[in-house]
Amino acid sequence: MTSLVSARNVSKSFGALRAVDDVSFDIGKGRIMGLIGPNGAGKTTLLKAVLGLTDCQGSLSVLGLDPFRQRRELMQNICFIADVAVLPRWIKVSQLLDFLQSVHPNFSRDRAEELLAQTNIKKNSKVRELSKGMVTQLHLSIITAIDAKLLVLDEPTIGLDIIFRKEFYGNLLRDYFDEERTIIITTHQVEEIENLLTDVMFINDGRIVLDTTMEDLPEQYVELMVSPDNADKARQFNPFYERDVFGKQVMTFEGVSREQLQGLGDLRAPDIADLFVAKVKGEAA
Amino acid sequence: MIQTQIALLRREFWEHRAILVVPVVVAVVMSLASLTGQVSFDHKELLDMGIVGAQNLPENARALALSGIMVTLSSPFVFAMWILTIFYTLDSLYAERKDRSILFWRSIPVTDFETVLSKLLTAMIAIPVITLAIIIATHLLVLLNISIWIDLRGGSPWHLIWSAVPLVDNWVATLALLVALPLWLSPFIGWFLFVSAFTKRSPLLTAALPIVLLPMLEKMMFDSEVIAEAFFVRSVQMPLFAGLDNMELLFQEGGDFAALADAKLSLVSLLDLGGFITNPQLWIGLIVCGLFSAAAIYVRRYRDEI
Repeated sequence: MTSLVSARNVSKSFGALRAVDDVSFDIGKGRIMGLIGPNGAGKTTLLKAVLGLTDCQGSLSVLGLDPFRQRRELMQNICFIADVAVLPRWIKVSQLLDFLQSVHPNFSRDRAEELLAQTNIKKNSKVRELSKGMVTQLHLSIITAIDAKLLVLDEPTIGLDIIFRKEFYGNLLRDYFDEERTIIITTHQVEEIENLLTDVMFINDGRIVLDTTMEDLPEQYVELMVSPDNADKARQFNPFYERDVFGKQVMTFEGVSREQLQGLGDLRAPDIADLFVAKVKGEAA
Repeated sequence: MIQTQIALLRREFWEHRAILVVPVVVAVVMSLASLTGQVSFDHKELLDMGIVGAQNLPENARALALSGIMVTLSSPFVFAMWILTIFYTLDSLYAERKDRSILFWRSIPVTDFETVLSKLLTAMIAIPVITLAIIIATHLLVLLNISIWIDLRGGSPWHLIWSAVPLVDNWVATLALLVALPLWLSPFIGWFLFVSAFTKRSPLLTAALPIVLLPMLEKMMFDSEVIAEAFFVRSVQMPLFAGLDNMELLFQEGGDFAALADAKLSLVSLLDLGGFITNPQLWIGLIVCGLFSAAAIYVRRYRDEI
């Protein structure tokens, strides 16, 4: 697996606050990495460091470049949507295409026009005249038309209704993604992207609390719904998190095989949202 | 690099429509004023006398009078251009933060240096060139308007105006003035860009405050006026027209108008470009502008929050 993003002991402080605290990870080519964490966990700071928008300590390499010092070269092969509102409101769609065509070596105007033709967006509209959903469609069309190796999405669908959100991810997979391209994505609506992801990383208080592939996840983590009489038996396997669901205990285990827990209750792979809560709360306990 | 710069300059025109709108509005006002001025002027016989008087003037004196009309027409543009430049530079790095589009602009393979450079080029070159183009159009429009009027009163517009008017001389001198002005005032342009890059709110107030307060503080604490001198006196003493001292001869009562007109007919000949370019104050100003611009680039590059 060739590493597209490689972080070693990356830290970033704002005064006394360590927003990113000694983080190391790798992201390979052709992966879709979900970066999950609560507000203020350091997700956005980490993404900014990856995008070269902020300086950081430690060693960080993106596409073999130092993102902060070689931002111009980097941006030829990276795209990002940081928030739906970032397209300038005064710009016309046609001006946006003109501009990108002249400054972005990897932008294909034909491709962008082709994608926009599938939407209701008119080329002489200004961004301020478009609905929020259309702005996101426009942004995604532009980005899909850029032959970028890495796409970073920071809460790309915030404030959109469910239809646009579904469509957004549908288009992302259909038009953008292939094995040559890599996506890093953060969102609060974890359920919506769960099926998309190939990798997942949890971040809390600036630290990585989990970094694994979706394939390995069911082997590493298992959730057991256990009746009260079997609870003590199950606790011998050291669940790192327990919660109460309709009078039954749900325990989350790490590194415990399913065979060992067999017969104690219902076994299943935890979904990401539950696993995240378990990880964050379990560590705090 | 050049293609990127052209695209960035186009962006400035899309984003800051005032760059075109302001001079066009001045042009419309001046043209309308020249039009309605003639229509509503009651004393037609006075104007007829004016035509007769003009016919009796030697050609160089007519040229001087026409040059005077052109300078009068140009001056509101120069004033408007400087006001526009102040507001443009104060807005140029502030607007993209206010509407949060800065993250989009920074997601494109364009460096902060290139972006700030495009703002500087807009203020220093694009705005003056646009202003000149619109001044030229206004000159032609107003002269054409006067020609029609002269023709209607039975005069000869070709003889009175077009054969005498020193168009090119006036335009070259105007171009020199329009380009020299932002160069001479470049420390302010740099300061405005820097304020525009860092301030969280009201760039105009933030920029104006030190310009007003520092001279006052200096006066109170040291009873000197070095800062006031540097801010205000220097600003209005641009050493571009070397012959400016002699210019007042033109306006002297009872002077030999024709002879003076002959001597000082050409505005270009009054220019002292060599003196301007070698003036150390110009270069000190440009260095100050460069430092502020570098600070603006630094702020845009290193600040995390918007």
